[in-house]
Amino acid sequence: MAITPPPARRRKRRMDKVMPLVMMPVNWLEERSGLVGGLKYFLFRKVPSDINWFHTLGSATLTAFIVQAVTGVILAMYYKPHPDTAYESIRYITNEATLGWLVRGMHRWGASVFIILIFLHMARVFLFGAYKYPRELNWIVGVMLLPLAMLEGFTGYLLPWDQTAYWATVVGINLNGTGPVVGPFLAQFLRGGDEIGTDTLTRFYAMHMLLLPGAIMGLIGLHLYLVIRLGVSSPPWSKDAAGSEREERPSGDPGLVRPRARGRVAK
Amino acid sequence: MVSPPAVIVGAIITVIFGFLWARDVMSPGRASAAGGPEPAGTADAEPIPAHMGAPATPPGHPSEGPASYPRSKFLELGTLGLGAVIGGIITAPILGFAVLPAFTEDELGGVDLGPLTKYPTGKWIEATFLLNPAAGEVSRRTAFIRSNGMEGGQPSMTIISNRCVHLGCPVQAAGPRNDDQQETIKTEQAELTVTPVLPANFSCPCHGGSYDTEGNRIAGPPVRALDRYKYSIVDGHLILLQPYSVSEVEGEGAKAAIKAYGIQGPGEHVDGLSGLLYPIQPQDLG
Amino acid sequence: MSRRLQEGRAQHQRYKEDVEKRGKSFYPYAMFHDTVMSLVVVAVIVALACIWYLTAEVNEDGSSGSGALGVLYEDKADPGTTSFIPRPDWYFYFLFYLLRIFKWPDSVILGTVGIPTIALILLLALPFIDLRRERRLVRRPVAVVAVILTALSMGVLTYKGAVAEEGSEATGLVPEWIERFSIPPGDASEGAEIFSVSGCLNCHQYAGEGVPNLGAPELTEEGNKNRGVQWQIDHLECPSCVTPGSPMPPYEDLGQDNLRKLAAFLEASKGEAAGGEAAG
Repeated sequence: MAITPPPARRRKRRMDKVMPLVMMPVNWLEERSGLVGGLKYFLFRKVPSDINWFHTLGSATLTAFIVQAVTGVILAMYYKPHPDTAYESIRYITNEATLGWLVRGMHRWGASVFIILIFLHMARVFLFGAYKYPRELNWIVGVMLLPLAMLEGFTGYLLPWDQTAYWATVVGINLNGTGPVVGPFLAQFLRGGDEIGTDTLTRFYAMHMLLLPGAIMGLIGLHLYLVIRLGVSSPPWSKDAAGSEREERPSGDPGLVRPRARGRVAK
Repeated sequence: MVSPPAVIVGAIITVIFGFLWARDVMSPGRASAAGGPEPAGTADAEPIPAHMGAPATPPGHPSEGPASYPRSKFLELGTLGLGAVIGGIITAPILGFAVLPAFTEDELGGVDLGPLTKYPTGKWIEATFLLNPAAGEVSRRTAFIRSNGMEGGQPSMTIISNRCVHLGCPVQAAGPRNDDQQETIKTEQAELTVTPVLPANFSCPCHGGSYDTEGNRIAGPPVRALDRYKYSIVDGHLILLQPYSVSEVEGEGAKAAIKAYGIQGPGEHVDGLSGLLYPIQPQDLG
Repeated sequence: MSRRLQEGRAQHQRYKEDVEKRGKSFYPYAMFHDTVMSLVVVAVIVALACIWYLTAEVNEDGSSGSGALGVLYEDKADPGTTSFIPRPDWYFYFLFYLLRIFKWPDSVILGTVGIPTIALILLLALPFIDLRRERRLVRRPVAVVAVILTALSMGVLTYKGAVAEEGSEATGLVPEWIERFSIPPGDASEGAEIFSVSGCLNCHQYAGEGVPNLGAPELTEEGNKNRGVQWQIDHLECPSCVTPGSPMPPYEDLGQDNLRKLAAFLEASKGEAAGGEAAG
């Protein structure tokens, strides 16, 4: 009578056979690029143990941006950037293309969600005092992302070429035009001429599709790099050193526990 | 066809790299690296600047004799110089292609607004027309036109643009419109729509600007009076010419004294202290 | 090296040690929260898209009706329009309303480039303005007040921008006025129509509509002043002749016929209470 090994051992033996197969491409990649190690570092880096839901606003903003990027690429497959065709292509996307309304709706409302999340994320960082040394540069990168995101909204607003699109753009360009000395030149550059026309639409399309998203992606990359390098800041009420940075401590105490630590004892 | 500038740039690059290659092949450093003993001059190589982080030149790299120009220096300058050339080559078309065309002036040939008989004396007509029929609907504009009768043997017209001088919103005639008397006039170039209106003033629906019937600001944020169009009369037809900006209008109708300036963007003061904020206009450069 | 910088470095060093010793790994602890939040974000976006599309109807001529979240698209752009009222997307409402606040010609530049630029510079410079190490909110009263004031003003500006009405938008309200204030048919009712299209609401308010400007009076109960139709006509023809110093522009261009109707409407405007009695 054959002895069947107990199930746990059988599973282990099967795993021993499968794992090398799984690990082979991973190891191949790691040996040649170090990417797996980088990913491991990213995933298993330590973050303060008392971070909370407020800290998810940044990654939520990133998610909204990814939604914008993906839906934007799909919309670009159908959209025709010319004053004679833009409006019709938007109507086609909305009314006829399969699920076109969903993609356009996600892109349209994703923009609003993206902007709201940026503001919330910024408010969180401000209230947590997370812009202070050594994270000043990351704050500045974040602040630069805000006008870029709003410019994305502004350039995207023209693309449907309907009445609100057109007139909001008129006002927006003229807003820039009132800037001292360089204003009129900036407005002229944005319009691509004396009047809003075909060149304006294609210009806005190029900025909306290539220039601004490129800049935003680059800055987001820098933003994330700095977060990983400097570490996630703990909440200001944190009992760890990360939060209680102004407490004086007896010398020799590395500052793990605040003298007045109430309630929760450090783990 | 290959353009001459491309040939010149190509030739320069070829010469530079040819020179570098030839120099590389003939240099004693290369020969020694190919199998000879390690040169003794390594210690004389340029020290690696601390700020450059990782060593830019491997320690054992062959170098020139101490008397000659250091190779690393040459490579550094060469890299920066060639980089600048590449930057220049790329920047020139960007500037020329993306920026300059925006500043070439559009010639406005004049738009036929139909026979003068469509514009009865003392009545306001709202005319919607194509400023540049070749550009299509994008160039559709509206103007408020009033005939002021004859002045000095010539018909006098007031043609006010409906572009708000605050930020460019469409200004509306505040008063009853006679939509049932709307008319379409066919001219040689295109067709235009004229509607009799009875404005007590002109008002802007965006930020609350309002103007009197000469285009002077009454209330709200507009920084000057409404823009006007020049015009001429050819064969009894009203021909619309270039627009111009106006700081204010004194008097009315044919007798109005118009303080005219070159056309400027909405929101820009043409006179006073604030006018100094806009010393040059794009069209000044054209 | 400044004491503050020294302090900061020491604290960051302590922070790193602390996190290394007692922190938790990003995956899966923090990442789980991030993922849940991201799912919420995507769900909200899809939900908004669905509500937007499914509640809006497309008319037979291809134009879009307005749903719970507005239209799918407006009419095609018409640069020569004389009736369209431009509005920006909601996140520019604050700027839109800011532009209305700066209603004096020499202050336009403050609203257009001045305030936004100052705000951006302040934001960029924030880490260099606030150099203290303190992070707890109870000890940062200025920061808390600043964020509350900013949020409040942005909120109020956005709200005001969202509800900002315009004189020429009032045309559709005429039947409601006639009903609500018992405006008699004939001249007075026709006058209401003229009132709504003649830019009166750019300065005056009527039944809560319009933008108060130049100190112009509310006109809902103008009739209660019992000034008489002739006074109203004279005043409309030349406001500064009847009320010296009045900034109101003359309306004689409307013609006697229209002025008579306008005057009749103003005299019939006796507010809701009086109108209610008359109806009863």
